[in-house]
Amino acid sequence: MKRSILHIVSVLVLISISTSCDEVLEPKPVDILTDDLVLNEPNDVPNVEIGLYGAFRGIPTNAVISGDFTADMLIHNGTFSQYRELGTKQITSANASAAASWSNIYSAVYIANFIFERLPAVSGVTTTQRNKTMGTAYFLRGLSYFYGLYTFGGIPNVQTTSIEANRNIPRASKEDILDLILNDYKDALELLPEEPVNAGFVGKDAVRAAMARYYLFTKQWSLAEAAASEVINSGRYLLEPDFTNIVLDDFTDEAIFEIGYNITDDPGTLNNLFKSRREIIPSNQVVVSLASAQSGTRFSSIEFNVSNLAGTDNGWTVSKYGTADQDNNNVIVFRLAEMYLIRAEARANQNKVSGLNSAQSDINELRKRANAPLLTILSQSQMLLAIEEERRMELAFEGHRWYDLVRTGRVTAIMSAFSSNWKSTYELWPIPQTEIQNNPSLAGQQNPGY
Amino acid sequence: MSAPMRRSLLIIGFIIFTITVFAQEQRASGVVISAIDRSGLPGVNVLIKGTSQGTITDATGKFSLNAPVGSTLAFSFIGYQPVEISFTGQASLEIILQEELKELSEVVVMGYSSVQKRDITGSVTSIKSDRFKDIALSGIDQALQGQAAGVQVVQSSGTPGGGISVRIRGSSSIYGSNRPLFIVDGIPVETGSLSLRSFGGQDDNALSLINPGDIESIQVLKDASAKSMYGSRAANGVVVITTKRGKKSSYAINFDVQRGIIDPVKKQELLSSTDLLTLQREAVKNAGQNPDALGLIPGVTDGVNTHWLDEIFRRGILEQYQLTLSGGDENTSYYISGNYRSEEGVQLNNKFERLSGTINLDEKVTKKLSLGTNITMSRSLNKRVKGDNFLDGVYSGALKSLPYNVPFDESGKLVGPGSPLYAAFPNFNPVAQAVLPRFDAITVKMLGGINATYVFNQNFKLRGQTSIDYNNVIEDQYESSQTAIGGYLDGVGGQGYGVYIVGSTTNFVANGTLSYNKSINQTHNISALLGTEVFRKFERSGNVVGRLFPSDDFTYITSAGIVDNGSSGRLNSGLFSVFSEAKYDFKDKYLASFGIRADGSSRFGPGNRFGFFPSLSAAWRITEEDFFKSNKISDLKLRASIGLSGNEGIPDYQFLGVWASTLYNGSSGVAPSQLGNPNLKWETTREINVGTDISLFDGRIQATADVYYKKTYDLLLPRPYAYTTGFSSVWENIGELENKGFEFGVVTVNVDRKVKWSTDFNLSKNLNKVLFLADSVPIYRGFSAEGVSATNIIKEGYPLGTFIGLNFLGVDPATGDAIYDDTNKDGKINNSDEIIIGTAQPKLIGGITNKVSYRNFDFTAFFQFSYGNKVLNYTKASLLNSGLDITSNQSPEALRRWQKEGDITDVPRYELGNTFNNYHSNRLIEDGSFVRLKNVGVGYTLPAKISQRFYLNAFRIYASATNIWTYTKYSGADPEVSTLSGSISAQGIDFFTLPQVKTITIGLNATLK
Repeated sequence: MKRSILHIVSVLVLISISTSCDEVLEPKPVDILTDDLVLNEPNDVPNVEIGLYGAFRGIPTNAVISGDFTADMLIHNGTFSQYRELGTKQITSANASAAASWSNIYSAVYIANFIFERLPAVSGVTTTQRNKTMGTAYFLRGLSYFYGLYTFGGIPNVQTTSIEANRNIPRASKEDILDLILNDYKDALELLPEEPVNAGFVGKDAVRAAMARYYLFTKQWSLAEAAASEVINSGRYLLEPDFTNIVLDDFTDEAIFEIGYNITDDPGTLNNLFKSRREIIPSNQVVVSLASAQSGTRFSSIEFNVSNLAGTDNGWTVSKYGTADQDNNNVIVFRLAEMYLIRAEARANQNKVSGLNSAQSDINELRKRANAPLLTILSQSQMLLAIEEERRMELAFEGHRWYDLVRTGRVTAIMSAFSSNWKSTYELWPIPQTEIQNNPSLAGQQNPGY
Repeated sequence: MSAPMRRSLLIIGFIIFTITVFAQEQRASGVVISAIDRSGLPGVNVLIKGTSQGTITDATGKFSLNAPVGSTLAFSFIGYQPVEISFTGQASLEIILQEELKELSEVVVMGYSSVQKRDITGSVTSIKSDRFKDIALSGIDQALQGQAAGVQVVQSSGTPGGGISVRIRGSSSIYGSNRPLFIVDGIPVETGSLSLRSFGGQDDNALSLINPGDIESIQVLKDASAKSMYGSRAANGVVVITTKRGKKSSYAINFDVQRGIIDPVKKQELLSSTDLLTLQREAVKNAGQNPDALGLIPGVTDGVNTHWLDEIFRRGILEQYQLTLSGGDENTSYYISGNYRSEEGVQLNNKFERLSGTINLDEKVTKKLSLGTNITMSRSLNKRVKGDNFLDGVYSGALKSLPYNVPFDESGKLVGPGSPLYAAFPNFNPVAQAVLPRFDAITVKMLGGINATYVFNQNFKLRGQTSIDYNNVIEDQYESSQTAIGGYLDGVGGQGYGVYIVGSTTNFVANGTLSYNKSINQTHNISALLGTEVFRKFERSGNVVGRLFPSDDFTYITSAGIVDNGSSGRLNSGLFSVFSEAKYDFKDKYLASFGIRADGSSRFGPGNRFGFFPSLSAAWRITEEDFFKSNKISDLKLRASIGLSGNEGIPDYQFLGVWASTLYNGSSGVAPSQLGNPNLKWETTREINVGTDISLFDGRIQATADVYYKKTYDLLLPRPYAYTTGFSSVWENIGELENKGFEFGVVTVNVDRKVKWSTDFNLSKNLNKVLFLADSVPIYRGFSAEGVSATNIIKEGYPLGTFIGLNFLGVDPATGDAIYDDTNKDGKINNSDEIIIGTAQPKLIGGITNKVSYRNFDFTAFFQFSYGNKVLNYTKASLLNSGLDITSNQSPEALRRWQKEGDITDVPRYELGNTFNNYHSNRLIEDGSFVRLKNVGVGYTLPAKISQRFYLNAFRIYASATNIWTYTKYSGADPEVSTLSGSISAQGIDFFTLPQVKTITIGLNATLK
């Protein structure tokens, strides 16, 4: 008895001493991959590409907030201070939406740069796969910078994954970023396949659409017209006959590139803001615009419920962005209608206002689809204003309005009438305050007015 | 003492007695009872003084012997003061034995070894169970509140089974854990929250699974020397808990029952419908809008006036039952207990129930070998409600909800989404939010250990222990279609929202120690210990979310239309440790001890895994010196210690740069999730402690004083990175902070006659300061707020828990707008004007307990206080919001608002949508000092003679009340709260936090032997 118990005691002690130290101190990580294992064999390539899309998708989502909420499309009806600031036009550099926009851009840029640095060294990858992934990385990096440039101005030009270099990096000039975007688009155009699996991924047309938008923003009218025409004439896209489908469906016939969400990966961000919580609701002005005759079926972008009408709530709701199980939770990046609008504006600026292949004919394509009265002959300046209004109705809540008004120089005129708190410096969002604190090279580089 | 032995002693006594029989002898009989619990004391020596005649009391404390009239009877028992009475022929005697005052001879369990209290060279506070036995505590951490100098215990809210923050000597880490290590019978137990779903700032509490009724004593190890054997995880102090074990006496059955009522300490005042309507109309008009158009119509809108707090509050019922069986003989002792507790929250539908059982067994197998086991099983059912910063919380909703709305419609049905009476976003219906959801957290804990001790000889002893702490939590939840999540927010639920989460945390510990003791000529006393320990932790969890239920009759996910969210995961970590300790004392006069512990942790990369934590301490007992002769000072000891302790309380695998899975458009891939830091290593705290223990007038005054300095370096912090790196932060060892302070504790016996009065007082002060942060960049924490970076800042030179905000200078009598200090003189008021506006760290904390007993009555009053701490009344940002929105009710302070030119007031004018007047400023900072009558109790013990008639050894009835009186200047409901339960950087924020509750209970305790 005594002997056996002594035995137990010593075994007990021995167990504690001899339990393999490695097993205790080096438990194998579960469901994560260390940096060195992420991209070193052909099977890893598609995974990292998906990771890049995943990182990119926050950017167009945030652009809906910046594009529509900084402008006169939306008003605040909730409790979060980041949205209240946007609603009352008292935007501060601590705004969480600004921080999210900025950080999403560089998360996507990091993965793109990671692909450029690592993919060439991975052997055994097919040329098709390699070109597709490299092309996607170029395109999404360029597009990320495009959003960054027009939201924040000349932002730091990050070209590597070096943490040390990127912790302390100054703002680049607007011109440098424009060059970078165009070069990335050109590389992408060469490498990407003509047609992607579905509009949730990118092919050459997405790049052409992005270039059309780029030329529009940089006022290179004939290039913009040509790029838009190339997409329109490809025949791969058709204007969806019923505008309601644009509001309620994903991957319509006119989708060129959409941020894809499905039931398992939907974060519900926009749905929660616009529909569930109704933290953000349409402004009275946009309701009037969408309810007008010229808007036609585009009125389906919003809906009214009398039970919501109380206090400051006008009872209107943005209809886009459904729940995960509904078919409209994607965020549109490019669709055919925008190409018509780009071409119309490019043509109008080249004084091709009416007649065959004119601004007027492009706009009327959209009016026809919307069952709205056709546009009759106008002067060039009237046409430009008409296009502005057309874009507001057609592209409502897709993140365009503020960028358009800033681009055409009309923002202060329109926004001062909308809110007495508007300041001309709201042409750009503030660089997030934490970013200025954590990156010494940004000290004193805040955008004016913040 | 075994029965045959007692019998033989009686026979011997009888023989002696018959030999020396005197003519005047009379029968002397009676009972000896303990002053502590008025129970009969068995085995007390009864001796006729000057003779060798005597007897021993029986199992119920009774004795009987023949004694000459006029003789002196002497009663003595170990641990009690001897009593002598003169025998004058009384028919029946009742002798009350008082407990010995000399607590110094007490044995204190300190980690892997025990020492006599008088020989402690470090800083230790002992709390015995009689200090809290009448208070209906929910957890063992609550027992520490106000009882030990240097220990700050803050209960986050009045939610039953809710989170409690315990800080020993301040916060020594910013991001690592700040919770002390809790050891129960040698087993490190899980602390903090077990729940796997956030409940709006209010956590649950793993320690609430341990029944305080089973606790014998608590030792709080505070300085480096006392906790050196726990070096690795001891930076935040160690709380060593010893549970009750059987005594070597015949069996005893104890039954304890407590029942009582629970109410909130205070109800926040809010505006009536009419006052609010007037205010809102004014706010709308000031914004240039028409209040009628917004539906704010006098006589219509204020037609109802709902007191939402009255709708969601109720009087809770507390019940607790405990049955204990304990006993033992020479070789075996046992302690078995069962406990049931049910505590209703003051919010509707909120309840905490616990069922627990404990078996502690000790068996002396041979002279040299003994085995022991302790097993505790416990299950709790926590019916939770959402709180604090949840918009759909119950208390938060009740505070904010407009009095214009109603909880029930005319037919008595709860108002829900779809009803025209529904308040909708953001206030919903707080009553429905309380009553309708099912938020059941079912937690099961199994704490078990076996140990074996083998004594080789009088010098060497070997001890081994293995134990398990298994915690399982099931979150069984359903939010019906009539709630905010389940019905109103169709993006989330739409038609019911069900969540089912299962998680388990299992800790295995195995350790072995070899100890050596030797005393040379009673002069040189040497002891040494060598030990090793392996600790492994396994965490697993899984969850599934379903929605679109056919109706609210179907509430489990098997009926969900869509199951669109599920996950599972696992985490492992481990520690491997070797430790050693050596102690030496010379004639009890000079004492020294040295300890070292080396720990390897899986949380650090190769090369940095091991940390070494040595400590050194010494003490000098001046009263043992020949030159020191005093009959007033019975014991005086000076002690000093220095040492290191560590902290590894960060998430796992942070030293690795890793990618995690991600989804896009139905495809899965990988994305970077964290940047690695291979240089990550232990956070270390270096501490120095100097203290003294003094005992005066034969122990009637015992005082302890300590001063300490703790410096924590290599702080584990996620260093914020510029987003341009692609990451927001990486864990680094950057930063330093210090804690310094003093502690003073004194126990006095003020009166020791028929009336016995003793006082226990403790006072402590801790100064916390952040010394260094990476790049000297401050870190913003807490809540986001209008016009400032955040509510809290971590900044060099300031303590943790520092508040920032604008400096509110007053209200401009001309315009009614707030005036803020333009501190940087740039003509703009924005977050660059923010300044430090206060700290949640108290200047002084303490407690005082007075105990009075007279005959069979006993009385206790325990006050706790906190002085000099600020509370951020962030609730006011909503309830005194200057018209920012018209969806929240307002506090009566709004009646003082500026209304017309010339008004002098401190409340700015109300204007709808105006954010400027509600910028975050020191307007919301308040003095959070308080004195609180934490507990008052009174008890009556039936005289032993009477109770024995009912076959009871002792019978006591008592009443106890907690939190019934508070003195504070704080304007909110309760200063003793903290939303963000357990937060280090953002403590002392009241953001719709449920106030503490007051509890009044009565109880009875019966012992059968």
